Amino acid sequence: MSTTTAPAASRASSPGTLSQLTFGGILKSEWIKLASLRSTLWCYGLMIAITIGFGVLVALTLTDAPGGQPPVEVQQGTAVQVATLAIGFTALVSVVLGALVITGEYGTGMIRSTLTAVPTRLPALFGKVLVFGAVTFVVGLIAIVGTALVTAPLLPRIGITPDFADPGYLLALVGGAGYLALIGVLALAVGAILRHSAGAIAAALGLILVVPTILLILSAVLQADWLANVGAFLPDAAGSRMFSYSQDGLSVAPGLLLEPWQGLLVLLAWDAVLLLAAAVLLKRRDA
Amino acid sequence: MIEAHGLSKHYGSRKAVDNVTFSVRPGMVTGFLGPNGAGKSTTMRMIVGLDRPTSGSVTVNGKPYSQHRAPLREVGVLLDAKAIHTGRSAVNHLLAVGATHGIGRKRVDEVIGLTGLDSVARKRVGGFSLGMGQRLGIAAALLGDPATLVLDEPVNGLDPEGVMWVRSLARHLAGEGRTIFLSSHLMSEMAQTADHIIVLGRGRVIADAPVAEIVALSGGKLVRVRTPDAARLAQLLASPELGTEVGVNPGADADEHDVLEVSGLGAARIGEIAASAGVVLHELTTVAGSLEEAYMTLTQDEVEYHAGGSQPAAEGAIR
Repeated sequence: MSTTTAPAASRASSPGTLSQLTFGGILKSEWIKLASLRSTLWCYGLMIAITIGFGVLVALTLTDAPGGQPPVEVQQGTAVQVATLAIGFTALVSVVLGALVITGEYGTGMIRSTLTAVPTRLPALFGKVLVFGAVTFVVGLIAIVGTALVTAPLLPRIGITPDFADPGYLLALVGGAGYLALIGVLALAVGAILRHSAGAIAAALGLILVVPTILLILSAVLQADWLANVGAFLPDAAGSRMFSYSQDGLSVAPGLLLEPWQGLLVLLAWDAVLLLAAAVLLKRRDA
Repeated sequence: MIEAHGLSKHYGSRKAVDNVTFSVRPGMVTGFLGPNGAGKSTTMRMIVGLDRPTSGSVTVNGKPYSQHRAPLREVGVLLDAKAIHTGRSAVNHLLAVGATHGIGRKRVDEVIGLTGLDSVARKRVGGFSLGMGQRLGIAAALLGDPATLVLDEPVNGLDPEGVMWVRSLARHLAGEGRTIFLSSHLMSEMAQTADHIIVLGRGRVIADAPVAEIVALSGGKLVRVRTPDAARLAQLLASPELGTEVGVNPGADADEHDVLEVSGLGAARIGEIAASAGVVLHELTTVAGSLEEAYMTLTQDEVEYHAGGSQPAAEGAIR
């Protein structure tokens, strides 16, 4: 290496007199960061593979309903379920990836490079949230819509012909992708608060998987319906309403049943509160 | 230009940095010296806003770092080689950092060439040696072509060629009128690189002076003499008519019986004395490494002052 002669070229070209810190630049930076890690590609690939694989598997194993062609509402509801059934698993992938997007920076020390480039700090956090949320939404949409398209030819066999022009049907598919993005952002916020990969993933999964179970058991043991109603406002229960077809009526969980838009608002509120806490801590703490 | 005023950082009762005031001027290399735990890294992190001062303030080019519109163009910083995600390639790391300021591919390729990383630029950083990580950290610091460079232990883990490179880079950038602030454990390295030195001990500035003055604190320069007739030369140099300031000691290495270290006398005068007495000289060198002694003297005093117990040490009182 002929590096000893290099200093003479240190100022060979200026990066441009106009270059300065912008939010657009931060978004681009976060996109480069997200796209240049193997874990991202693995997680998103897994998300698409699980969704399509699961949908096809379910479509192939469903059997004819007795009594001929089911009503249109049931047909549409079943079609939505086939396309979104895998979300129970892909949401976990989104949670892991969302947590890693920020805790990976703390674990490796990258956060110091990030916060040196963006010393006001909050734009870096919000840029991360926007880029991760948008990319996860798009990937989720590709997976879910892809599954709907791939499974469509398999469903007429059991008397179901999905109507793609039905707004309720389309909203449920979009809602599924939105849920994946928002539950991942929730994990990102938890990661920004805890700053540790294992801790953040465990805490986020606990909130999504363990807390609802505990509430369910408690409400059964104590005969307390209000506990089941509280359970309806947990991130997972509320968010899952976003991809329910309004007429499916197949929910067996006790307690309140939120409308899809209410579920969206509840999950947005969870994200907002946790992000606010993350933002306050990011401003206060030493990096 | 970096200016710190009454800068302090306390962790509980421990004062990592204790009411430090100094300025780092443009156009020269300023060395930042101190034993481990003296507060050098904490001070440098406060300069770029990663740590929040307990009290006091520090500005870069007249403003706190975070208030600049293009921070990376004001200050390039290498805090430690580990401030990089190990799963990303070097080029993607630099592209991501640069993107925040609209710094693109062209400049990234430039700093990669400048730091000699061409052959590994597309490899994942996790597999980098310490030296390669250090070069990548310096590359990131240079991205914004900044007027001020803050480098914490930049030669750490570098091979001799890399050390030479950092030294010439620092001198070159200072020659362009930039502010260069670098810390190092290698005191001899600092003697060859820095113009001005700030010594930190236990979170306090214990010296802030040009290199020459710091060296003078240790009693001036040493001359190293190698001769087969060491005993006779030592006798000649110890002669009272040369003055009482002259010190003659055997070489630092006990195996070298033919070496003398002479203080208080120039190399030319020693040569003349040897010639007039017919003593053969094999070597006559002025040693510049006495900065190390000055540093040891300075920091030892600082440690003794606190450990002595005769003073009501502030730390003890708080605990």
